[in-house]
Amino acid sequence: MRLSRAHELWRRFLNMASLALTGICAIVVMAPVFVILAYLVVNGIRSLNIEFLTSLPKSPGETGGGMANAIVGSFYMVGLALMLSLPVGVGAGVYLAEFGRTRYAHVVRFMADVLNGVPSIVIGVSVWALLVVPMRSFSALAGGVALSFIMIPMIARTTEEMVRAVPNVLREASLGLGATYARTMWSVVLPAARGGIVTGVMLALARVFGEAAPLLFTALGNRFWNLYLDRPMANLPTQIYEYAKSPYEDWHRQAWAAALVLIIVVLVLNIIARVSTRERYRALR
Amino acid sequence: MRQRGVIVMLSALAAMAVLIIVGCASKKGTTTVSTAKVQITGAGSTFVYPLMSRWSSEYAKLTGVQVNYQSIGSGGGIQQFKEGTIDFGASDVAVSDEEEKSFTRPFVQFPVVAGTEAIVYNLPGITQHLNLTPAVLADIFLGKIKKWNDPRIAQLNPGVQLPNLDIVVVHRSDGSGTTYIFTDYLSTVSKEWEQKVGRGKSVSWPVGVGGKGNEGVTGQVKQLPGAIGYVELSYAMQNNLTFAAIQNAAGKFVLPDKDTGEEATRAAVARLKQDIRSSAVNMPGEKSYPITGFVYVMLDKQPKDAAKAAEMKKFFEWALKEGQQMASELGYVPLAEEVVQMSLQKLAEVS
Repeated sequence: MRLSRAHELWRRFLNMASLALTGICAIVVMAPVFVILAYLVVNGIRSLNIEFLTSLPKSPGETGGGMANAIVGSFYMVGLALMLSLPVGVGAGVYLAEFGRTRYAHVVRFMADVLNGVPSIVIGVSVWALLVVPMRSFSALAGGVALSFIMIPMIARTTEEMVRAVPNVLREASLGLGATYARTMWSVVLPAARGGIVTGVMLALARVFGEAAPLLFTALGNRFWNLYLDRPMANLPTQIYEYAKSPYEDWHRQAWAAALVLIIVVLVLNIIARVSTRERYRALR
Repeated sequence: MRQRGVIVMLSALAAMAVLIIVGCASKKGTTTVSTAKVQITGAGSTFVYPLMSRWSSEYAKLTGVQVNYQSIGSGGGIQQFKEGTIDFGASDVAVSDEEEKSFTRPFVQFPVVAGTEAIVYNLPGITQHLNLTPAVLADIFLGKIKKWNDPRIAQLNPGVQLPNLDIVVVHRSDGSGTTYIFTDYLSTVSKEWEQKVGRGKSVSWPVGVGGKGNEGVTGQVKQLPGAIGYVELSYAMQNNLTFAAIQNAAGKFVLPDKDTGEEATRAAVARLKQDIRSSAVNMPGEKSYPITGFVYVMLDKQPKDAAKAAEMKKFFEWALKEGQQMASELGYVPLAEEVVQMSLQKLAEVS
């Protein structure tokens, strides 16, 4: 059957229009990223200097000062959260992947998903009640624990997926050679899944690095240096919040600079996540 | 191969963190990564935050004792102090008998500084201070006066070309000591306000739009022609907002500033002697600015950590004496000498 000329034109038009429309949608998806980046660079770069990176905040209304303590505090608490959540998350993930058919495992999986969906402010308030009140002090520890609550389900679920994706032949080969189950897990399955697990961990780190809500009522913030676990600690996200809503011009500028630092760290973590996945696929191919 | 890559990446991350820490530590001697032996944590009132931070900076330079104050709001300050998670709380409203019942530990509270609230407005082309009486102010916030060229406003401001513009009331959307002081004032001067709305850190406003924090209200007023709101004086001045002269209890129209605020706190002395929590709104005296309030600090009477408590006492002694000068530089109202003495007495009760 031959299409009429008009019909053919119409179909061509539809094709072009849909292509253009989806293309525009794709641009719209990317646009916010570029707008945010450009905006942050334009506004933040002016105030991003050595003083900002290396000195303590000044009192409100005074010009100058920086966020060195907040930058270190953020790394400190995210590092703490990583130490707490990595063993638990990977352990739980392995359990779910290897012995995940039991009723208990279903419950665990469901709970992990629930925890994943809990708003971070709720986690902050819960940790306040669990740790801050009994310890009678806001603390870096409470901040780290709150962040780890966000990371644990993310790491557990990615680990599960990654361990499950390891081909069974690898396990059979290892067991066939006489290795114990534990040895097989440790030396064969986990290394094979490592790339994917690292991706998950990096994404979890990138997520919590920018979280302000769970730290508001756990780490509280600090105008000074602190490296003790049991004292309040400064951190970038809450400092940005604090500075951005202040009435001082100079603090607004510093909030932009802090946001730029934050986005750079998050971007680096995302890129590391990307690179490690690419290596994984290359290896599997 | 893959393993090595991952290890390299993780060590790069660790190195980054270490570099940052070392970088900060090696920077000039004054900003080394060291935490003082004594670090005192306080939280609460956002109004007192700039002053507390200035005190804390100066005091750390003088003594090496670090006072870490975080602005979480007056309500939050009382709550966290009650839970015992902070060493001291600060609030623009004193803890009432009602609230005190839920406290499990004995504590003292006393004013450390005072402040005035400005009635700010945005009328295009009008930069002079309008005169407002308590009755007119209450009716504006009750929604009964709806236009800027209402005869009752015009009558108070002869010679001012008031525009035919709707009045937009801007109030705080969050619980705040600023709101408490303002509604306490309106309740004092207007029976109708007291019955219909009352006083509180957050009330159900008859009219208007909300803004979060002093900065939120400031922003709204700046953007909306016809808007009127209440903010701490320092916010009004920093943002070049026009504010009104309010008729005080003696019938005079006065502007908020350090002197008229101080006059009001002095007039409040007699009341404070009976109850240190008394408010300073609508005080007598020709020069008293009527919307004036104190910032209170709460301290444990029998603190667990004696060393920390001793340092904290020294800090507040310093703040009440030397610190008052800094207060007026930052747009706060320094306490009158009699009030300072009362506060010092209260502070002495801390064992």
